[in-house]
Amino acid sequence: MVKAIDIPFGPQHPALEEPINFTFEVEEERVVDVKIRLGYIHRGIEKLAENRTYHQNVYLVERICGICSFAHTTCYTQAVEELLGVDIPERAKYIRTIFCEMERIQNHYLWLGFTAKAMGFETLFMYTWRDREAMLEVLEMISGKRVNYGMNTIGGVRRDITGKMVERMEERLNYLEERANYYKKVCTKERSILKRTVGVGMLEPSDALNLCAVGPTLRASGIPQDVRADEPYAAYGEIPFRVVTYDGCDVASRILVRIDEIIESVKMIRRALDGMPQGPIRVKVPKNVPKGEAVSLVEAPRGEDLHYLRSDGSDRPARLKVRAPTLANLPSLRKMLKGVNIADIPIVIAGIDPCLACMERVILVDTKSKKGRAWSGEELWRYANEWYRES
Amino acid sequence: MVQRELMAILEVFFFPGFLFLFSLAFFIEWFDRKLVAKFQNRYGPLYVGPKGILQPIADFLKLLSKEDITPAMADKVPFALIPLLMLTFSMTPLFCIPMTGSSALISFEGDLIVVMFIMTLTALLSFLGAWVSTNRFSTIGGVRTGLQMFGYEVPLNIVMIGPAIGAGSLSISGIVEWQSRGVWFIVTQILGFTVFSLCLLAHLQRVPFDIPEAETEIVAGWLVEFSGKKLALIRLAKNFELVLAASLMVSLYLGGPTGTLLPNPLTFLIKLVFCTFILSNLRALFARYRIDQFLAGAWKYLIPLALLQISLVEVSLW
Repeated sequence: MVKAIDIPFGPQHPALEEPINFTFEVEEERVVDVKIRLGYIHRGIEKLAENRTYHQNVYLVERICGICSFAHTTCYTQAVEELLGVDIPERAKYIRTIFCEMERIQNHYLWLGFTAKAMGFETLFMYTWRDREAMLEVLEMISGKRVNYGMNTIGGVRRDITGKMVERMEERLNYLEERANYYKKVCTKERSILKRTVGVGMLEPSDALNLCAVGPTLRASGIPQDVRADEPYAAYGEIPFRVVTYDGCDVASRILVRIDEIIESVKMIRRALDGMPQGPIRVKVPKNVPKGEAVSLVEAPRGEDLHYLRSDGSDRPARLKVRAPTLANLPSLRKMLKGVNIADIPIVIAGIDPCLACMERVILVDTKSKKGRAWSGEELWRYANEWYRES
Repeated sequence: MVQRELMAILEVFFFPGFLFLFSLAFFIEWFDRKLVAKFQNRYGPLYVGPKGILQPIADFLKLLSKEDITPAMADKVPFALIPLLMLTFSMTPLFCIPMTGSSALISFEGDLIVVMFIMTLTALLSFLGAWVSTNRFSTIGGVRTGLQMFGYEVPLNIVMIGPAIGAGSLSISGIVEWQSRGVWFIVTQILGFTVFSLCLLAHLQRVPFDIPEAETEIVAGWLVEFSGKKLALIRLAKNFELVLAASLMVSLYLGGPTGTLLPNPLTFLIKLVFCTFILSNLRALFARYRIDQFLAGAWKYLIPLALLQISLVEVSLW
């Protein structure tokens, strides 16, 4: 009998793309308890946003996340548009929808590779990342960039999708759909994948609801909750689609949910391209935003993304609050990790599609009085300088 | 007399001795990397030498020049000795493999048993290496190495005895010679060959059985603390183990260097590359298993199959 030992996992670890620290209490090969520690890459974006104008902030929120950049800008611009009382053109709504779905496709392909890597299946990792290029190529063709597209602006979108692009898009979408079907076959038939994923990282539906899981993690526990269907934004109200759910509650279901979402997204883009109305793609908006507050929800590839915006009537927001989907999934991640085998830790973590920089939080707590307090900019600056001088 | 001794020295140092083995180890590593890259839709090594063929040597030299860190808590002497021992243990059995003719540099009745013994020792050494480096990840890796050994070692040794029973000899050279007169054992013992390949994958700690060094799980498992020269030697030792595994497949099941119209060493090389192909191919096909799944699989399937093969051999001899 081995005594329980603490195993540090991160902040630097090959299975993690970004720094986060898990401390696993392990008995033999089984995880008994886990502590999660955040705060390694806090960037202070919410504070930065208060010093920039609403238009400048579009560029800032785009850089909250490298992968779901469009979800964040959509969420932010929607909040600003709500405050302004602007209704954006129909065509812009459709283009936003198409981009949201294209982003979902490229994210899910990326995630599939990442998960394959976590379970030691390098060949699948290489294949999915190769296929992801097809989507990135389309995104680059339309927007000029592969990840931070710079498409959204307050009052609409900045670039149009023209006839030639549609042809190329359809061709690439066919390829992506075909590959997604192939991967679905691989992930349901290949025995070594099934061995590693079925029944691993269980999250019961009741736990998923209680711990406020979002996105594919929640839908893999059989709960059909999706912002696109529940509170349609952009053109989602006009495009019929299926909310994909699986009820395996394990990593295998999370894989299948995402692969099915790729296939569903391809269909949605086709429908959106068919039904896209003609017309302008943006409206001009005033610089100053009237006083008020707004909450905007978007179904990012990883789950529900929330932006809260308060305006004091000037050209800069008084407060911008971002709740990225990964933060909502952390409590359920802790639940999933309890009781798993050490070998399964990477896949379970990968299963929620963690994107850490987007959700980073920092709170400074005095360990004696157990009270948190806010630091002024000057204090932080002084602290950083002293810290560097010492080390 | 002097000439014969000179020949013996040449054989030990050049062909088929050290120099040849070193080049073979690097060549096989390059072949394996290039092949897996092809399977995975990548390029693999490209820049050093034609088609990147010198890349393994470049990597080896680079590692030799890197900083060599010994953890403060490590048991210093064994920690320094283990890479050397690993290299020795993985190279020694290669001298028992006939490469140029039906007789090896060293051959005696029972060298098959010695080879088995040394192969077990390398696995034990990696456990020891993990233990003395006192790192949490390497401890887990070391325990996994030990557990994995319990899984693959029994079937591996059982199926290695299969050809020995068939040929009526416990010497690898004897087995090769028997095959050069009759049929290759792969024809009569295909089941044994399959079990042998799978066990070798586990012995070599390659995907899907790279459990003791699973990168995404426990960083590098048992070799996480080894760096610089030590890591270079361990990697070289692993290359030798790959060569040894492939050449055991060749010697025990594919008739060794004999059996074709081509010159013997060339025949051996072609067969060796073919066996590496099998091992690399399997490596690109699967996801990593978990240690408990591997053990269950080994005892449920590999051992009964190995025993079945032995019984079949016995029955056929009767």
